Amino acid sequence: MSAAVPSAPEATSAHSVRELRRAVRRRWGFRLSVLLGWAAFVGVWYVVSLYLLTPQQLPQPHVVATEAGELLSQRDFGRNFQASILRVVAGFLLALLASVGLGLLIAYNRWWRRFLVNTLLFLVSVPTVSFAILSLLVLGVSPMGPILNAMIVTTPYITMNLAQGLTGVDRRLIVMSEAFGRTRAQMITGILVPASLLSVLGGTRLAFAVAWRVGLLTEVFASADGIGLQIRRSFESYDIRGMLAWALLFIVIMLLIENLVFRQLERLLSRWRSPDGGAAP
Amino acid sequence: MATVLIENLTKVYPPTLNNPTQVQALGGLSMSITGNVFVAVVGPSGSGKTTLLNIVAGVERATAGSVRALQEGVPARVGYVFQEPRLLPWRTVVDNMLYVQDRKSDRSRREAEFYLQMVGLSDVADLYPSQLSGGMQQRVGIARAFLVNPDVLLLDEPFSHLDALTGRSLRDYMQRIWLQTRKTALFVTHDVTEAVELADRIVMLRPGGTAYDDIAVDLPRPRRHDDPAVRDMQDEVLRRFDAMGAAVRFGAHA
Ligand SMILES: Nc1ncnc2c1ncn2[C@@H]1O[C@H](COP(=O)(O)OP(=O)(O)OP(=O)(O)O)[C@@H](O)[C@H]1O
Ligand SMILES: [Mg+2]
Repeated sequence: MSAAVPSAPEATSAHSVRELRRAVRRRWGFRLSVLLGWAAFVGVWYVVSLYLLTPQQLPQPHVVATEAGELLSQRDFGRNFQASILRVVAGFLLALLASVGLGLLIAYNRWWRRFLVNTLLFLVSVPTVSFAILSLLVLGVSPMGPILNAMIVTTPYITMNLAQGLTGVDRRLIVMSEAFGRTRAQMITGILVPASLLSVLGGTRLAFAVAWRVGLLTEVFASADGIGLQIRRSFESYDIRGMLAWALLFIVIMLLIENLVFRQLERLLSRWRSPDGGAAP
Repeated sequence: MATVLIENLTKVYPPTLNNPTQVQALGGLSMSITGNVFVAVVGPSGSGKTTLLNIVAGVERATAGSVRALQEGVPARVGYVFQEPRLLPWRTVVDNMLYVQDRKSDRSRREAEFYLQMVGLSDVADLYPSQLSGGMQQRVGIARAFLVNPDVLLLDEPFSHLDALTGRSLRDYMQRIWLQTRKTALFVTHDVTEAVELADRIVMLRPGGTAYDDIAVDLPRPRRHDDPAVRDMQDEVLRRFDAMGAAVRFGAHA
């Protein structure tokens, strides 16, 4: 039997060179379309602020960008940014921890599944602003509000994805593991964790975005610092430019995290899925 | 020396939501295997072959009766080749091999590579299963079973999902490795011809999971599938298999 290894690393036939070129072209095509999308967004922004609204109502993009640049150079930005991100990450880590327990219960216990799935659905359907206001009433102005809210709102996403990953594990692999005398710990680290990792990451990406939004929203209502509070301050002094500048910075940070952390993590974790094992560019 | 003693083995699956009647997979099967022999268990689909191997491997429990797989009086180490490759898709070929090993050292890696070489897969050790053909994946499964240095080798129709040519070449691999290692083997199949090619002894199961016949295959090794002696034996065993089919159809019990 001839060993038909698909796309071995050293394959350099004319065919594979053509394939490679096509892949590179597709890649640049994709980048170009992303760029065009952003250009269109900025274009529409200009049109709206110049012809439909006044610059007081909607400052032009370059004005907001300049303002954001100024914010970046002030010490205020670093302090508020750090406060916000620490809270979001803390709430997020707590959610991750809670999700492991809840996910296991949902995957392996019928009674808990019924109970928890309903509870989590309920949590997802509560408007996030209710949590923000509630935490002001209960906790007052405290860093605990954004942390707890980020946790509560993200836990359902991570939990459901983990439970789904766990129930999707191929039972035959577990039998294989037992037949070869593997221990429970080896089965967990060798099968359950890798089998559910990708779907957990999927839930995590979404959850992280939600955690940011809720964390910031809570800061708007009940915090002594953070990006959320800065947006509120700008709002209170009718400083639309400042408000948009903070929002812009926030979006940029989100995009950076998505592309530098989550996208790379996913590429790393899904190497085994792609037919070339992630070897090709 | 390994022995497998199967006494009065019965397995009844209780009714489930999908199947409201209980299923008797094995109905009091007895057989014993001693020493470095290759035993084939042949039976039609649903006659309890996989169930038998699972009970021997200890991943399923008997309803009644007993199975003892022993090596010099202590529980035998088992190597299992499944009906499908059953590789961990997120691990490379060599890491799949290492998963079944207790110690992770340079030596265990060398051993893994040795068995991969034995099935002709040295070049693909660092690829993922999704990058291999079905036949190559099944060969990894075979190498993995030999890697644990089993006292008893369990083989569950390892060639049945493959095309005829690939199946034949894998049977040749199997025969070669078995001649080098001579592990006590319990080989389940519904294919009489491959049973004759590989086994010293063929146990026929009938539906309901009891033994119908026990045939010694006394042919020299290595066997070639086109050897007239092998052909004659295959015809003989097939005749008996058909007789069992007829007996089952007409309700007679031999
Ligand atoms: N987990 C299970 N629950 C219920 N019934 C089962 C289970 N596993 C097997 N059975 C039933 O037991 C009988 C024997 O199954 P088994 O898989 O051992 O047969 P087999 O001889 O290996 O068949 P095949 O040649 O198709 O692989 C079948 O009727 C099957 O439906
Ligand atoms: Mg079977």
